[in-house]
Amino acid sequence: MTLADATLVPAADRRWLTPSRAAGLVLLSLLAAFALIGPLLVLVDPTEQDFAASLAPPGADYLLGADHYGRSMLARLAYGARLSFGMALLTVATAAVPGILFGLFAAWRGGWLERVLELISTVLLALPGLLLVLILLAFAPGTFGPLYLGLALTLWIEFYRVTKATAAGVLKQPHIEAARLLGFGTPYLLRSLVLPEIRPILTTLAAFAMSTAIIAISTLSAISVGLRPPTPELGAMIVELLPYYAEAPLHVLMPGILIFLLVLGLQLATRNESL
Amino acid sequence: MNAPTRFQSLAVSGLEIRAGDKAIVRNVAFTLAQGMPVTLLGASGSGKSLVAHAIMGSLPAGLCARGEVTLDGTSLLAASLAETRARWGRTIVILPQEPWFALDPTMRIGRQVSEVHHYLHGRGAIEARSHARSDLAEVGLDERAQAYSHELSGGMCQRAAIAITHAAGALLLIADEPTKGLDAALRDSVVKRLRMEVEQGRLLLTITHDIAVATALGGMIGVMLDGELVEFGPAAEILDRPRHDYSRALIAADPSRWPAPQLPPAGEPVVSATGLSKRFGEKALFDGFDISIGRGEIVAIVGPSGCGKTTIGNLLLGLVQSDRGRVELKAGVSPLRFQKLYQDPPAAFAPRQTLRRGFNDLLKLHSLDWRTSEELMARLHLVPALLDRRPDEVSGGELQRFAILRALMLDPVFLFADEATSRLDPVSQKDVIWLLVEIVRERGLGLLLVTHDTALAQRVAAKVVRLER
Repeated sequence: MTLADATLVPAADRRWLTPSRAAGLVLLSLLAAFALIGPLLVLVDPTEQDFAASLAPPGADYLLGADHYGRSMLARLAYGARLSFGMALLTVATAAVPGILFGLFAAWRGGWLERVLELISTVLLALPGLLLVLILLAFAPGTFGPLYLGLALTLWIEFYRVTKATAAGVLKQPHIEAARLLGFGTPYLLRSLVLPEIRPILTTLAAFAMSTAIIAISTLSAISVGLRPPTPELGAMIVELLPYYAEAPLHVLMPGILIFLLVLGLQLATRNESL
Repeated sequence: MNAPTRFQSLAVSGLEIRAGDKAIVRNVAFTLAQGMPVTLLGASGSGKSLVAHAIMGSLPAGLCARGEVTLDGTSLLAASLAETRARWGRTIVILPQEPWFALDPTMRIGRQVSEVHHYLHGRGAIEARSHARSDLAEVGLDERAQAYSHELSGGMCQRAAIAITHAAGALLLIADEPTKGLDAALRDSVVKRLRMEVEQGRLLLTITHDIAVATALGGMIGVMLDGELVEFGPAAEILDRPRHDYSRALIAADPSRWPAPQLPPAGEPVVSATGLSKRFGEKALFDGFDISIGRGEIVAIVGPSGCGKTTIGNLLLGLVQSDRGRVELKAGVSPLRFQKLYQDPPAAFAPRQTLRRGFNDLLKLHSLDWRTSEELMARLHLVPALLDRRPDEVSGGELQRFAILRALMLDPVFLFADEATSRLDPVSQKDVIWLLVEIVRERGLGLLLVTHDTALAQRVAAKVVRLER
């Protein structure tokens, strides 16, 4: 129910840094520190094997234990986090930037350009994302290039579609018409009036896309078409350790926990309170 | 009638509504009796809506009500949440503002009434349907039971909402701005219906800023200002001999009581159009329409909603293309000097920008000086402190004056005011319209007023164009 006296009611404290955002940001910065500074601090080579320490439990020699080849889990996790998170970030950035630009352009101009973009995105959507990645991977197996390209090609559509739909709604509002009558050009309208309004939904979308990318990269490693061993990658680590679950359950869980924490951190940091 | 008992009176005394430590509504006291409806008049932001919600028990979170509100001796404020909920719809009901948003768009009207009988009173399907038919017949909608809300006019939707309250059997009706967004003819039909409710023995509390509604309803009138009830008494007495300054201003703000503006004769045309035609789909809005607005001239277009009056203004500004006909703007004048004022001021400003930011960008774009805008702001009675707020944090009247300021920065020769005051209370409406008249006189710009308020148009405009649906 609308309340005509809304102006009498004191405005709710609109703090940007809500508790959930703060928690998410702390979690993300801890993970970022681990992924960026970790490999510099842990001086052990993540591929160095020490069969005497095979499946060693966390302890003095190996802080987080060692895997079945006796490689330091800490080193592997730090390097793996850097690789997985870095790849996910790169993929999402590559998907988001053209997705948002195309979306804004299609919402603004419409016409044949929108129809062409619509056709391309529909065709790409009809192709299962995983299949697209597999096709591209067939050209250069085990490398990051096609993996990244394939994921970005599937992820940009979401950004494009959401941007186009929300921006088209904003562009129909009277304040856009008013700004145009006042002489403001298209770049100003898109940058200063449309983008701020669609930003919240785009950050949420980006957080989801990050999770999708990390899980997709891990999944592909898990079915042995992603990155090749001995590259420390979180998904591949889970697969390699899975046969030893009975002896060392914690080792299998550790990379999974890292992925979980990242996704949790992203979701908390981009959560909108005003629901 | 399925009304078991009639309430005799609703008594409110010493009502206070607090947000934290701050009392935003104070000292409200009135009595509502059989056959004596109460109408609360006041600007938006005067607290009249909050009073209604306090009685209903539906104040927004963070607000609490103190004082006495008794319905036939039962205290409403002391009731528990469950008791309050049990009363909603059954004994007290709010008729929502703009009911076309409150009705279910996916359900036929007849079904929306009969489900009240079915679920609330536990009647069988056939019995519920026959009751629903008689409820709809009572408000003159029996022919339209199969219609969806979008197929009904605003007045019909309001009547359908009344039929639903009949079905529920509620005997205390709170009508919150029941005529908001309706044109004069529809407004009168809704008011007539509300009068009938009173005659049938329901208690009626109406919240409005429309003096015509208060006049037609009669009974008692309360005038609210800044959260206080400044005057309360019989309608005839208050309307003829208001004692409080604000009541006087409010009543004098009714367009039919305005003095006539003294404007010099119009100069050469700034905008003219000949043979305009426009159709949306099957429906022709107008055909072969001619209009011309001269320098220093005020032209008004009046007509019921949906008759295409806004479209004419948009055609003149080039925001919409006509099917046939031509629009001629004064030669050699920049298109930036043709500006528009919008019906809903908050919608005409970027919601996430402070006003200062918007003005800054505008001044920078056209290399204008803050000094000119400051002089104009003083002229429009706008305080610079308001600039640091966002559009939803200033009142509608102030925001509309900011819109005028924004348009004046570009030194317009033509201004199209699209229902620019229809959402403002009478005092703000008068302020805004008189400001526009003064500007027309001083700067010699052409003003096109589009409105559904015939009295206003006739009072202010040199030429009134009437459009039929």
